[in-house]
Amino acid sequence: MSDFLVELGKNPRARSFVQSLGLPIPLPQALRRDRGPWRERPLADTRVAVGAVDGAELATALAECLAASGANPYLALPASLAAAFKGPGETFGRPARPLEALAEKERADALVFDATGIKDIAGLRALYEFFQPLVSRLGRSGRAVVLTRTSDGKTPETAAAQAALEGFVRSLAKEIGRLGATANLVVVAKGAEARLAPVLRFVLSARSAFVSGQPITVNTRARAIHEPPMVRAFEKKIALVTGAARGIGEATARALAQEGAHVVCLDRPADDGPTSQLARSIDGTALGADMGDDDAPTRIADALRSLGGVDVVVHNAGITRDKTLARMKPEVWDQVLTINLAAVIRTTAALEPVLRDNGRIVCLSSIAGIAGNMGQTNYAASKAGIVGFVRTRAEELADRGITVNAVAPGFIETRMTAAIPVAIREVARRLSALGQGGQPEDVAQAIVFLASPGAHGITGRTLRVCGGAFVGA
Amino acid sequence: MQNKNGRRAVVVGGVRTPFVKAFSDFTKLDTIALGVAAVAGLLKKTGLRHRDVEAMVWGGVILPPTQPNIAREIALDLRLDPGCEGMTVTRACASGLQAITVAAAEIERGNVDVVVAGGSDSTSNATIALPPKVVHALAPLALGKPTAADYLGVLSQLTPISEILPRQPKIAERTTGEVMGESAERMAKRNEISREAQDEFAVRSHHRAAAAIASGRFDEEIVPVQSPDGKWVHADGLVRADTSVEKLAKLRPAFAKDGTLTAGNSSALTDGAAAVLLVSEEKARALGLKPLATLSSWSYVGVDPADQLLMGPALAMPKALDRAGLRLADMDFVDMHEAFAAQVLSVLKMLGSAAFARARLGREEAVGEIDPARLNVHGGSLALGHPFGATGARMVTTMANELSRSGKRTALLGICAAGGLGAGAVLERVE
Repeated sequence: MSDFLVELGKNPRARSFVQSLGLPIPLPQALRRDRGPWRERPLADTRVAVGAVDGAELATALAECLAASGANPYLALPASLAAAFKGPGETFGRPARPLEALAEKERADALVFDATGIKDIAGLRALYEFFQPLVSRLGRSGRAVVLTRTSDGKTPETAAAQAALEGFVRSLAKEIGRLGATANLVVVAKGAEARLAPVLRFVLSARSAFVSGQPITVNTRARAIHEPPMVRAFEKKIALVTGAARGIGEATARALAQEGAHVVCLDRPADDGPTSQLARSIDGTALGADMGDDDAPTRIADALRSLGGVDVVVHNAGITRDKTLARMKPEVWDQVLTINLAAVIRTTAALEPVLRDNGRIVCLSSIAGIAGNMGQTNYAASKAGIVGFVRTRAEELADRGITVNAVAPGFIETRMTAAIPVAIREVARRLSALGQGGQPEDVAQAIVFLASPGAHGITGRTLRVCGGAFVGA
Repeated sequence: MQNKNGRRAVVVGGVRTPFVKAFSDFTKLDTIALGVAAVAGLLKKTGLRHRDVEAMVWGGVILPPTQPNIAREIALDLRLDPGCEGMTVTRACASGLQAITVAAAEIERGNVDVVVAGGSDSTSNATIALPPKVVHALAPLALGKPTAADYLGVLSQLTPISEILPRQPKIAERTTGEVMGESAERMAKRNEISREAQDEFAVRSHHRAAAAIASGRFDEEIVPVQSPDGKWVHADGLVRADTSVEKLAKLRPAFAKDGTLTAGNSSALTDGAAAVLLVSEEKARALGLKPLATLSSWSYVGVDPADQLLMGPALAMPKALDRAGLRLADMDFVDMHEAFAAQVLSVLKMLGSAAFARARLGREEAVGEIDPARLNVHGGSLALGHPFGATGARMVTTMANELSRSGKRTALLGICAAGGLGAGAVLERVE
């Protein structure tokens, strides 16, 4: 589905004309995306400004990640921290330069601030001092990332200072969204430094095009994977995607297959045509099952057992049956709760014996579930239920190295949203920092990231892919 | 290094033609003719009978499209025994070394005893091909019986004219579209190699090559070649004894406006050939040939062309050392192909970095610094030129002779190549 304003905005003349009229018409920036396979150096030749204050703890991890990803770092750091960039610079031919070396007319592709050294409210001033002059130099589809620690075992003032970062990031996201740029907070638990790099590669790259204003927590809860692969990360892996016939499910199946996975594409028998076509085009397997059927979980488990097990499960199948509560019939309530929530829980249980160690489960939640939506009490209940499900299931499976997460899409251009009346759709699209709807591929990228071996630091979480939606906490 | 079956291939001799600038004295000699000149010189120098040569392995980069197996053509033109089979190998600028390592492997496996290996290239004779669009459009006229309508159809396809003109051949990476100099330019920036350092390195290469020529050191390696015009060429054409850092500093950047690479610190397009005679150790004794050196190990690697195209030797050389069970400090000589001064200096920096060793080679200590007194003792491609396929064979020849003359023990070779390839090899003197 094309977005007229995004298309219009791509034409520089039209863009300057509309802007010169001074009309209150938003012209969202077309987002930079990366639809190709994952790359060894996803940040090749990008300019990344790096800031931190004394006592920052992630400089080494950051230095290694940036150089290995191909980024050119420009430092605004105390000398003691800058030293960490020397070795990686030599190794990958990415020597760190002082921030002043960034020429006047050059834009920064990303701004990264390691805030782990901030201990009190006065320390937050460093955050202001780093971002304030640089925010106007951030390029289109740029990235702002703040790194912090989890708040356990801190003084109240330190905890306040760290918590303040979240408000800062969410607001920054809204300010830079018109550039197509995003801002996110990465919260790194003690001991999880080695698991930071894959997360940064995702957040700093074009793959996180529609993820903005989000806190992402990286911890050591799930068993670690030694040196997770950064490219072709799904070779020899089997992935199940439910609701694969179209939209987000189809995009996810394609993206997983592109990284080397054998994808079992599941959808209702009525959608056998598109499901089989998809499975053929990505060399996967088609599987027909209605998630509402009682025997669906065991049938799916049997099918996967015959393939030798499963590594990645994406619970994408879902339905909407919108009605205000007063007019909602009981069967409509049941239908939505059964397919969107009960089936996910039952299928996960049935798949547990065939799910391999270090496996990944990704469920689809929704902004509606987080923020609530008119006429969607049933749908929102089911999608909020997912948030609780992944939190608890993650704990149970962590020792086997299996992570369980959810993604919560905001307004995504799919068949489901195309059915919304035009006036409401137009408003819904603009109600986010990026001022536009996301593409199914944007959600697929987030799912593939959470399903990758490198995401071993993230479990029990719900990642919003909403372009910094104005609704929801 | 001895093979499991106890066989060892030894280098008993090597020669090369003079290396001259493309489109100069050798313009009318194609790569086959240059190869013939080198191999004829090798046979004369070693006193080997034609019928003793069992096989020929030849390296080349710009191969004639209709007779790409130039090894066989050289053998036939030289009237070697018809039984002397031939194969041509291509691995960009490492093709000459590739030919030699293929020959060594064949000998050590026990398949053959006497192989001529080497390589040649004639940039002057690069074929300028018609764009595929023209070839496809003209096909109906060449095949079958064309009608008038076919002729009209072809005409209508041959527009616009800009799409059907033959293009100047250029050495650009197929995947990145980057000309090699542009990649080297980026390496210079990323590894912080200054213009001054590059120019100094280039001057040293010229001065050392000039000294080798003046002292007669190259006389035993070079065979004079007569061009079809009747002119005899005795010496390398690109070496400038009188160059200096001041002179090179005046040259303008060649690949980027604010760049540091110039014609002076980059290797030139060159015509030439080099050939090496490899023989099994027993056969060498039987034939009364004096072994000079043996290839203890070799290694070929690949890196992402979009990253640092010419860093391959920084990975391949340590790997070759490991395979030979030796360390850089054990090396009496190091000979690196000088595609660009910036590329050699970048690789030297990587070899000297402990951080690089940890992350890229999985070892705690840096591979090591290379003493300039041991590096490219008689100059390199910057001064001598770089006929792509011949360079590896030139390096093996010069180093084998150097080991034999000096009585020293070991030499390490390193070559970078298009496509993100790198090669390394260890030569050891044979007593």
